[in-house]
Amino acid sequence: MVLSILLHWLVVVFLAPFFLGVISRVKAFFAGRKGPSVFQPYFDLARLFQKKCVYSRTATWVFHLGPVVVVSGVLVLSLMVPLGALKAPVVFSGDILLLAYLLALSRFFMIASAMDTGSSFEGMGASREAFFSCLSELALFMNFVTLALLTRSISLTKMIGADVPMLWNVLGPALILIVASLFIVLLAENCRIPVDDPETHLELTMIHEVMILDYSGVDFGYMLYGAAMKLFVLSSILVPIIVPVKTGLMALDMLFFLGGMLGIALVIGAVESCMARLRLNRVGNLLLIAFALAFFGFVVTLWRF
Amino acid sequence: MDKVYSLIWQVPFGEFALKLDFLGLVFLAAIAVLVVCAGIYGIGYMLPYKEKKPLGFHFFFYFILAIALVLIVLANNVILFLGAWEAMTLSVYFLILFHDEKPSTRKAGFLYLIAGHCGTFLLFLMFFLMAQTAGSMNFDVMSRASFPPALAGLIFLLALPGFGVKAGFLPVHIWLPHAHPAAPSQVSALLSGVAIKTGIYGICRILWILGVVPDWCGYVLLIIGVVSGVMGVLYALGQHELKRLLAYHSIENIGIIAIGLGLGLLGRSHNLPFIAALGFGGALLHVINHALFKGLLFLGAGTVIQRTHTGEMDQLGGLAKVMPLTSVLFLIGALSICGLPLFNGFISEFFIYFGLFQGLMGFPLNGVIACGLGILALALMGALALACFTKVFGTVFLGEPRSAHVPAKTASGTWREETSPWMLLPMIALAGLCSWIGLAPLTASRLAFSGGEYLMRLPAGSVDFAKVFVPLAFVISLAFVFIALALALILIRRFLLGPLPMPVGGTWACGYSKVGPRSQYTSASFVGPIMDAFKYVLLFRKHGGQVTGEFPGKTHVSTAVHDASEETVFSPFFTFLMGLSKKFDENRIRYTQIYLMYIFVFLIFLLVWKIR
Repeated sequence: MVLSILLHWLVVVFLAPFFLGVISRVKAFFAGRKGPSVFQPYFDLARLFQKKCVYSRTATWVFHLGPVVVVSGVLVLSLMVPLGALKAPVVFSGDILLLAYLLALSRFFMIASAMDTGSSFEGMGASREAFFSCLSELALFMNFVTLALLTRSISLTKMIGADVPMLWNVLGPALILIVASLFIVLLAENCRIPVDDPETHLELTMIHEVMILDYSGVDFGYMLYGAAMKLFVLSSILVPIIVPVKTGLMALDMLFFLGGMLGIALVIGAVESCMARLRLNRVGNLLLIAFALAFFGFVVTLWRF
Repeated sequence: MDKVYSLIWQVPFGEFALKLDFLGLVFLAAIAVLVVCAGIYGIGYMLPYKEKKPLGFHFFFYFILAIALVLIVLANNVILFLGAWEAMTLSVYFLILFHDEKPSTRKAGFLYLIAGHCGTFLLFLMFFLMAQTAGSMNFDVMSRASFPPALAGLIFLLALPGFGVKAGFLPVHIWLPHAHPAAPSQVSALLSGVAIKTGIYGICRILWILGVVPDWCGYVLLIIGVVSGVMGVLYALGQHELKRLLAYHSIENIGIIAIGLGLGLLGRSHNLPFIAALGFGGALLHVINHALFKGLLFLGAGTVIQRTHTGEMDQLGGLAKVMPLTSVLFLIGALSICGLPLFNGFISEFFIYFGLFQGLMGFPLNGVIACGLGILALALMGALALACFTKVFGTVFLGEPRSAHVPAKTASGTWREETSPWMLLPMIALAGLCSWIGLAPLTASRLAFSGGEYLMRLPAGSVDFAKVFVPLAFVISLAFVFIALALALILIRRFLLGPLPMPVGGTWACGYSKVGPRSQYTSASFVGPIMDAFKYVLLFRKHGGQVTGEFPGKTHVSTAVHDASEETVFSPFFTFLMGLSKKFDENRIRYTQIYLMYIFVFLIFLLVWKIR
């Protein structure tokens, strides 16, 4: 048990920055540039962990606790998510609730740390994050409701079909809607265009990027690592639905899983390159579109009753 | 397990009959803890008023309230129950009026009294209807009677507003946001933590007595819970006064409890006892949890208000440096009320969510839609509550002080002693209980589930809860893994940074030179996007803010969220009633002697009639 937990964490910790590198490589390709190496995020994180931190006079113990809670939260929730052939070490009925609320816990501390700096920039990001998380939670839970109806289970492993591949030709329409909705939620939760721009720190564009503006050194490294791992874990929830292949051979399953993850990274990179970030009052509309897609998936599922 | 105690009481139809059962035990636990904690806190809170105000009156009514609360949950007879109910209403009225020099407090108290008595009137009707059908005023005897479905439905419909006024269901909640800020903080804590729960207790007791209610009752209760919950938290988001915000949050949590009760009724009507037990048990556990964390939050707010002499969040800021212990305790309360893991709010919400999901998979179509609505409402409430409490915690305790209300350091450079130990110890106790239930929930959960089973009239231990206790065990172990990981990460950071203290500087302001505390986000600006998104649901009013003229001068803007029930329903209704009564008043006879003559004539008439 302990061994499988450690193996799970090892995979998440070592693979997460790689996908950030793939996304920036894809964006560079679209822009006609050569782009940084795929391993650049590793070098960045290594550099950050060797630096010291500077703290603001206004900050309190909440600011120190923020990065720790974010990384712990994402590591604990990764234990409930299957990674290809690697089964989730902790599986129980209702683990989707713990997943959603661990995300909420790290969000609480991120917003509180942002307010702790006493700067209006971080307050801006905090206020926007608080609002958009309401809508993305709605969309996420609508997806959970539909998946629970489809798979008759409230455990993440069974819901995303990690145990038994869901047959697309039987449940196709609902699954397409769920995948689209979950993809938009993925973009919103992980600070991607069209919701937020991960490259810049301008007040017009930032939600997540500005909440971490005052972090430096090891704390900033923790925050970046937490964000990378969150993107990895939330993408790996999407992969078993899109690539429902179960050969039984561990190596082949892991290959399919990594292929699916690279596919998602490619799509994210393509979306980031081909779209501009939405005006802020439209981001709410986008998240409501995600909710509407999931709601239609719910209606389609109910039709089969 | 029922312990029954009875005395002869010289009141017609009355019987001093007390009964302690599992349902009452759940509420009694919450009452006991909060009465003691708020009482001890009250000693410290009232110390500054020692020579200036009559404290004896206040503590007298506090004890009367405590006795009345205990009698309400133990009462086994209608007259005793209603007597204790009235005693509670009146003692809370006198407690609210501690600051009766302020007209707003007097208005708040009077509004509370009227609202309470409107509810009590409906309760009288309902109880006499039940006693008529059952032939007795004793709850035990009534529970053995059988009520025809139409009558049961009517009783339920009378119970909802009757108890709902006290509980704070949405349309009839208007007294809550006025009474809570007006009362002293320990009274607000008690009011919000337990006095409101007596309304829920009343509904539970009626459901127990009725036994079987029509199917639509579950849907009604669920809808009321959804509406109260979502609108409550939306109103809370729009407030900028600390205690008024917490009052609206009580309405939201009553909504969550109502969702749990509605789910329980749905489970019972579809003959799925596990789901019903989850619904009722989750709601009862939330009763205890809410008493604990809402009490903690109100006591923390009271500490803040006592130190800074204001409850306006936009005048505060940076209090975590002045009152570090209070900020930690308030944070624990805030994390609990948002339902975040490691604390008790998550446990009761987990049970209700689990029940809703089981209902989603087990009920026919109507139930599926109802459960889906319940799940979405709970998710939305959780996210909005998170937005609200990050706003509160961030605006009050973090950042820079926004006005001179925030105490500054003393001449020697240190902070004055934070607050009196009378006030700190109850808060520490409540925070400890929140963490205990969050990390070791089995005792409290078993208590709540046995209350739920009793409510469903099942013998104790008849429902198998392993299906939910096994996931709960996983949740708790993951919570401990989280704590261990957090400690490990702190140690790793300490190792990487080395032993020397890190450099300290000003917050990076992106090169702007004139950045001050006033440029921070305030409570109104923090929730601006949310208020804008919900503007068709909330009555959001903005006054001023326009700059006019070629050489614009200073201008003034104020925003407020007006309570829709109050403004569109009750205020016009009461204004209409006042207009009517003024009309009658114009024509009234102004001589007392004529009224005395009427009484005299009527007495003569009665005597003559009876003697014949």
